[in-house]
Amino acid sequence: MELKMEAIYNKTISATALIGFIAFFLLSLKTVPFSPAPLYGAIAFSTIMFAGYFLTNHILYGQDPALFILSSFISQLGLIMLYRINPAAFSKQINWYALGVLAYILSSAIIKYWVKVKINPYFFLAATLVLLAMPLLFGVERGGSRSWIQLANYSFQPSELAKITFVLFLAEKLRSGKIESILRLSGEILAVTILLMMARDLGGAMLFYMTALAIVFAATSRMDIAAAGLAAAGTAAVFGYYLFGHVRIRVEAWLNPWQDVPGRGYQIVQSLFAIAQGGFFGTGLGMGHPEYIPAVATDFIFSGFSEEFGFMGAAALIVVYFLLVYRGIKISLSAKESFLALAALGIATMFGLQIFTIIGGVIKLIPMTGVTLPFMSYGGSSMVMSFISLGILNGIRQSGRGEEDDG
Amino acid sequence: MYGLIAQVGKFAIIGIIYYFLYNFLKIMVVDLLMDKQHPGETGYCLLDEDGREYPLFPVNTVGRASDSDIVIEDPFLSSKHALITKRGRNMLIQDLNSTNGTFVNGKKIKKPFKLRENDEVVLGDRKFKFLRRENRGIKNGGHL
Repeated sequence: MELKMEAIYNKTISATALIGFIAFFLLSLKTVPFSPAPLYGAIAFSTIMFAGYFLTNHILYGQDPALFILSSFISQLGLIMLYRINPAAFSKQINWYALGVLAYILSSAIIKYWVKVKINPYFFLAATLVLLAMPLLFGVERGGSRSWIQLANYSFQPSELAKITFVLFLAEKLRSGKIESILRLSGEILAVTILLMMARDLGGAMLFYMTALAIVFAATSRMDIAAAGLAAAGTAAVFGYYLFGHVRIRVEAWLNPWQDVPGRGYQIVQSLFAIAQGGFFGTGLGMGHPEYIPAVATDFIFSGFSEEFGFMGAAALIVVYFLLVYRGIKISLSAKESFLALAALGIATMFGLQIFTIIGGVIKLIPMTGVTLPFMSYGGSSMVMSFISLGILNGIRQSGRGEEDDG
Repeated sequence: MYGLIAQVGKFAIIGIIYYFLYNFLKIMVVDLLMDKQHPGETGYCLLDEDGREYPLFPVNTVGRASDSDIVIEDPFLSSKHALITKRGRNMLIQDLNSTNGTFVNGKKIKKPFKLRENDEVVLGDRKFKFLRRENRGIKNGGHL
């Protein structure tokens, strides 16, 4: 059975590499005169991917190969789109991908041994608060939210790392399945959410809050807390709409983007045009106009992708994301200890919500908030931190497997 | 010219993407089948003194007879010596009127007896330890 599974995994990774070669070959043909530069990109990507695949298979015992394959598959589609949009961004992003793969292997290996260590949950809370406060104090503003820190030529988004520390904090704190003081816990969650709101990172605030609710519900299975939490979020959203201008702009652009097409609704309208242009099978790689969409390399990469790969490609991409979350939930269910189960659940929920928030935003299902599409959007911190989160999931899986098989 | 190639390439890429998904579907099916493959295993086992381990199923007969679920070649055992069954979350051990009796923690049992982790089961003159399978590695790592 194991051998058969390995054969299937090998097939999927070969299919991933094949997609890369076809797509980059198309991009080579598109440049006039013919230039092999995109093909070098495909070779570089496949080399990193296969090296990562063999390393994870040989070093990490009892790991889940699906996590690496699915994330590489998505990264590759993102890289193809990035090359299409802006080749310079591609060459930066492929370095981030390589770094992410390395971080994935390291974090899987470290977490496997580190799970035995017990750390005070308040250490994680302090880390989360410091990370989120940093950009408020000496950050730079970009795209309306103040969540980046500039260091020489590199900018870094601390909230990406805070996602992990926040999940670990909640998992550690609720490992016994009981809440000691509900006021204190809600105060801690609110402090984190308010810091994000102050940075005007509404999508981030929503992600952290909903993940916290999911973890609390999974740990205590108390329906009343979940209902109260959702009601509080709804009330806060209504107040936010009336009190803050930037919230109202987002909501109005969502409800009726057509009333102010060149202004507020511009991003969403362009995104909708692009998706409509794609139709069922897409315009074909290189035949669309992603350059019309604002922020297409980061927030709106999904619209660019749906334009060129069509509904079929976009639906497949969503299924791949779903598979990633499914693997995460499966790891959480098979974890032996409640801390590990909650941490895995938190990470999987965070991924799922983030994907829902951004894809829902660009297709005008929910108001647009600027969170990144994991593995696909242009951006180093998002790429590396997503890989580290997956590495943690993988480490949790290995620690569960180790006891079963070693004995 | 490029437009035509892009059209062909587009269908090729989408085809491979769905081939990828199809393979993952197969992986999911295999996953689910693997979970079902040992439906019987209760997660408990009997550990012999010399390190041999007998996984326990919902119903196990122990004895010398070759059609027992757990066959133990020992002259002091009866051919059908004892029966270990699962009830709810517990495992019960029951003596089948054996000649030399069944002992748990040094006491001879007459009625079905609820086994707990680390209980010592003596059949004939063989000693066994009743363990959860995932804990056996930690407690008996020495000889495994």
